[in-house]
Amino acid sequence: MVKGCIFSIEEFSVYDGPGIRSTVFLKGCPLSCEWCHNPEGQDAGIQIVKSPNGCVGCGACFENAVQENGKTVFMERSIKKCPMKLLRYCGKMTESTELCSKLLANREFLSDGGVTFSGGEPFFQSGFLFECLEQLKGKMHTAIQTSGFCESAVFARATELADHFLFDLKLFDEAQHIKYTGVSNRLILENFRFLAKSGKDLTVRIPLIPGVTDTYENIDGLCRLMSESGIYYAELMPYNKMAGGKYKLLGKTYSPSFDETLTPDIRADIFEKYCIKILVL
Amino acid sequence: MTDKTLNFLQFLKSGEYKKMRKHAESFGECPLTAEKHLESFKTALELCRPVLFAEYDDFGFNRDSDLTMMWGSGNVTPNYLRILNTGFDGVKEQIKQSISNTHNIGRKKYGRMMLSCIDLCLDYSDRFRDEIKDKNDRLYKALLKVPHGPAESFYEACVFIKLCIFFLRLIYTDHIGLGRFDQYMYGFFLADKRRGVSCEELFETLENFFISLNFDTDLYWGMQQGDNGQSMVLGGFDVDGNYLYNELSEMCMKASLELCIIDPKINLRVGKNTPEEVFESATLLTKQGLGFPQYCNDDVVIPGLIKLGYDKHDAYDYVVAACWEFIVPNCGADTPNYHLLDFPLVIGNMIKNELCESKSFDELMEKARLAVANECERLLELGKIVVRVENPLLSVFMDGCIESLLDTWSGGTKYRNLGSHGVGISSAADALAAIKKNVFDEKTISAQQLTDALEMNFEGCEEIRNLLLDSPKMGNNDAYVDSIASELMASFSKHFNNKPNIFGGIWRAGTGSAQNYVYASKTCPATADGRRSGQPYPSSFSPSLETKSAGLLSVIQSFTKYDLSDIINGGPLTIEIHDSVLRNDIGIKKTAQLVKKYIEFGGHQLQLNSVNREKLIDAQKHPENHKNLIVRVWGWSGYFNELDVEFQDHIIKRCEYII
Repeated sequence: MVKGCIFSIEEFSVYDGPGIRSTVFLKGCPLSCEWCHNPEGQDAGIQIVKSPNGCVGCGACFENAVQENGKTVFMERSIKKCPMKLLRYCGKMTESTELCSKLLANREFLSDGGVTFSGGEPFFQSGFLFECLEQLKGKMHTAIQTSGFCESAVFARATELADHFLFDLKLFDEAQHIKYTGVSNRLILENFRFLAKSGKDLTVRIPLIPGVTDTYENIDGLCRLMSESGIYYAELMPYNKMAGGKYKLLGKTYSPSFDETLTPDIRADIFEKYCIKILVL
Repeated sequence: MTDKTLNFLQFLKSGEYKKMRKHAESFGECPLTAEKHLESFKTALELCRPVLFAEYDDFGFNRDSDLTMMWGSGNVTPNYLRILNTGFDGVKEQIKQSISNTHNIGRKKYGRMMLSCIDLCLDYSDRFRDEIKDKNDRLYKALLKVPHGPAESFYEACVFIKLCIFFLRLIYTDHIGLGRFDQYMYGFFLADKRRGVSCEELFETLENFFISLNFDTDLYWGMQQGDNGQSMVLGGFDVDGNYLYNELSEMCMKASLELCIIDPKINLRVGKNTPEEVFESATLLTKQGLGFPQYCNDDVVIPGLIKLGYDKHDAYDYVVAACWEFIVPNCGADTPNYHLLDFPLVIGNMIKNELCESKSFDELMEKARLAVANECERLLELGKIVVRVENPLLSVFMDGCIESLLDTWSGGTKYRNLGSHGVGISSAADALAAIKKNVFDEKTISAQQLTDALEMNFEGCEEIRNLLLDSPKMGNNDAYVDSIASELMASFSKHFNNKPNIFGGIWRAGTGSAQNYVYASKTCPATADGRRSGQPYPSSFSPSLETKSAGLLSVIQSFTKYDLSDIINGGPLTIEIHDSVLRNDIGIKKTAQLVKKYIEFGGHQLQLNSVNREKLIDAQKHPENHKNLIVRVWGWSGYFNELDVEFQDHIIKRCEYII
């Protein structure tokens, strides 16, 4: 049995698949999207984070921290000593059996919905993910919210285990994809085509980042891909100015290269041209 | 919304009417006797005559001065329907009949005071009618019929109710709700429809009536602005299991949704057999951010009231009095807010005195049960010192008082039960759970260390406090602590429910807090759940403010484990969801499903608030930009800007863990 590292379970997540769901957030992501609003999901390991609000400046956390490569790293005693309880572990190691029994405890609530695995990128911990899916199979509806970035064989196995996929399509152009997310979209597109062909329940999700993903060329490219794959429904997620909200928690700064103040273009006409129904979330 | 409604609404929101009032010295404490009530009523009416503010106001009966008066009697739901169907002239005849039927001089005298009250109302409404003759023909014509005679149309009935509220509020009656408006007004509504009145006209009347209920509310007595008790109850099951949600219920929901004003506050009676569409239209109302509807679960409340000795048909007719108190309308003169059992304080004192002497957690828990039992005894003793207030006009509205010529609280009504809040249940359970884990199970803190840390208010004991904060908390569906809460509640209801009170009624245990989550907590020392001295308790039946709970599903399960029909004085679970959840139909539908699940799980009362923490913080900094921001406080909704800062802070804190 492998242990997994999760950073949150959100109960009553409304926009992560059909029905009332619980969403499990797995830590670690091979992508580094500029607009990532869950930066604590990027690093695979357990981190200690400090909430920036309410600090009385007593210094107890720093007294118990160590310096590594010129950076302050908080230690367990920093958490214990904070009088305002502003520090906590982000990430928790758990066994799949423990996690699944926790999820199944809410089965009565989730009877019309189920569980969604998100992240980070859930495939980053595919061994753990599969253990969970195997245990939940037949007991609860499962969904995976993914960037689609993983080995084809791993992805194929997932389609056998999970009931529903929430698949992010970001950028159609490979160079652009590398520029804004740090990785090529070759595997992603391959997995997408495979998934569409498999007939599995699939919801496409497109983040609308102003000047990046909401351009005419990009939306047209993505629509073409969807239309060729026989997918005619997409959920659009317009850029939220709160995206940078959690970077301070990690001691990081959020500095996107695109203009945050612009309102993303929905491009409804292009979707219409391809007969793709959209829902703006 | 018609143009007329829109004009009236804008007039309300402009606040111009407040400038039209003349100044009057406010009235002090409520007098006790009926004579003094009558006297003060006369003076009040001279200082505060009914007035029509605007030509599109079809209801009038607004105060022409800024007269305010302190707390008196109330928290009951008068029988409007009986008065609407009889008219004041008819009621006078009934009282005269009762006077001639009795030889008791005291009762005869009380009857005559009832008559004097009604005569004052009639005199003032007649004069008002003549004053507005050229200003509003519709109202003038209605006032030719009511209040002397019975109301015949929906409009006349609304006018009559507005008039009754105007007069009752000027005789030291506060927090009177509107009761089951959709049920008792349905007859007038249907009669109008049969006469050919269109739904549009009826809707316009209803909306304008709702608007008119908002004019004098800033002058009503309350703990905070907005705490005025104008609750309205919609829906509910009858004895045969039919769900009574009619066209008028739907119209009330629609009016409330469209108008977005704080009165009347909607309470929705539901059960596991309530259709999903009702939950969905209610969720649309939640989306408006007004903090209502508040849900009441018939499946739990009705059996609970029957266990407390209410007759079956009365229990099925229950209403929410003002905030969340479950009472019986018309014939119930219950006082559910009599006093409070301060759980964190009671358990805190027990811990201080007993923890170091206790060998096991079981022993400590036994002492906790005993402490609650002793506190119940003390409260019951305290409850023997009761001040009786005699309100002859209110008694006219309460069933039984005209026949007996006795006051509402002096034997006139059928039910005269008293209730007590159960404040801070989750804090107290969390404290005991933290001790169980750290002192007894894991032995990370010694009993002496903990007692000292509490004594020190955690100064220099951050590690201990953080261990306490990291212990199991109510709201995580964790039996470790939820079972402790159940035991505390069981002890409360066992030693309190159905004990006799001096009015000839009984006592009722509840889960509410009212304003005490802020006021009582101020004097409570540090508690073993990690709460510092003076920090607020959670509002009513909710997780502690320091708790980051596992989520809504866990909160609901934690707070429905105990059989809540045992502790049914009232007091809701309060949960906040971020307003972005309700941004489209998907979110509305799923939230409605969640509420239904709560009901199926056996929750008794739910207050679901749609909030946006950033907006609240901004409103605190820039009140000028958020004049219409409405929030739910503890059983009523108010304008955020008009709340004391400590209540604002509490609401912001409540939203901290919402993403």
